[in-house]
Amino acid sequence: MYLDLYIFAALLVLGFFFGRLAEKKHFKSIIAREKKYRQLLTFSGRLLPPDLDRADAELVGGNVVISIDYFKRIAAGLRSIVGGRVTTYESLLERARREAILRMKEAAIAKGATMVVNVKLETSSITKGKGQQIGCVEVYAYGTALSPILT
Amino acid sequence: MTKYENRHIPEGINVSEEHPLKEFLILAFGLGAITALVVLLLSLMAGWLVHFIPFSLEKSLATSSFSTSTSSDVVLTNEQLEIEGYLQLLANKLSAAQHLPDGMEVVVHYVDGDTVNAFATLGGNIIMYRGLIEALPHENALAMLLSHEIAHIKQRAPIVSLGRGVAVGLALASLSGFGDSSMSHQLIGNVGLLTSLTFSRHQEEQADIEALQTLENYYGHAQGAESLFEILSEGDYALKPPKLLSTHPITEERINRVRHFNGSHVGLASYKPLPEFLVNISQGLD
Repeated sequence: MYLDLYIFAALLVLGFFFGRLAEKKHFKSIIAREKKYRQLLTFSGRLLPPDLDRADAELVGGNVVISIDYFKRIAAGLRSIVGGRVTTYESLLERARREAILRMKEAAIAKGATMVVNVKLETSSITKGKGQQIGCVEVYAYGTALSPILT
Repeated sequence: MTKYENRHIPEGINVSEEHPLKEFLILAFGLGAITALVVLLLSLMAGWLVHFIPFSLEKSLATSSFSTSTSSDVVLTNEQLEIEGYLQLLANKLSAAQHLPDGMEVVVHYVDGDTVNAFATLGGNIIMYRGLIEALPHENALAMLLSHEIAHIKQRAPIVSLGRGVAVGLALASLSGFGDSSMSHQLIGNVGLLTSLTFSRHQEEQADIEALQTLENYYGHAQGAESLFEILSEGDYALKPPKLLSTHPITEERINRVRHFNGSHVGLASYKPLPEFLVNISQGLD
């Protein structure tokens, strides 16, 4: 009976420290890479800029799966009783979206692109409503990479 | 070509700057306090309502379960019947000394098991294990044990616990149904558990006090009662869980209560020995 309590507390502490460490590290990396790839332009618009030179168009994408930690899950569970902003999940999704876009940009840069247009995001939850399972979220970012034609 | 750029988006739009632990603690303690309050109220209400169930009804509820469990399956030997008869006789005398209300009577069941335990249950039934009886040094300690269990019957503790358990269990089951995380259910469940255990500890304290008074009435003094708790604190069965998680008051507290009680009721310490046949079972097994 008490064992349950101790295991629960231990998992909570473990989840909190490792989850927070991972999140801090991830955000640091995201901010640094976003700065690095800012020269590669991304647009959500479907149409190309009207005065664009002839360019090669190719599909690029980047996806990421991030798992929540035990602490986030419990915090969200408590939040679901009273309602309101689930801040622990907000930061998780923010990380997933930005990471997916970054991976898409890395793919575009590898192809020598200077611009990605028609960028879209898809989100899915991998463990949908499975009671005892730790949930994770997948975000997939994709778009059309435009590379200048070298003649 | 027109000049395009992706401007830097400031941080903190989608992510709250607030420390996650702060939100968690507010929620956990807030919900914990509400749950504890609900459990407390329900326990009080259930405990109060249960007193309106007549003892005869409780007895008839218990009879159906008792005829199938302890008594009828096991055929007692003559020796065991003698012990049970002796225990019943002592219990009857102690019931009189404790002024058990009319219509309320206790039935003692002797169980030939090594378990160091005794407990009172629904319908005035008291279960005594050989394991505990054979460890007791004299009749005074045995009388303390019986009086403690009779006091539980008198305060209607078994039916009160049952009523509380049902009311609180139902309430928590419906409350935890709102959260979608099964771990939050566990959290709520544990708060409920701790609260209900604290309740029964109060009942135990009351039963100890009542039992001491009974010994005073029966023997003229309550000395020797602490032997029971000394026995309980010795040996392998002396589990010492943290106070918060224990249903029974911790042994030192109980022994101190006996000493305190005896301090104000000074009498001559003459312990009544246990009858021969009870001494024999303990010696035969040592």
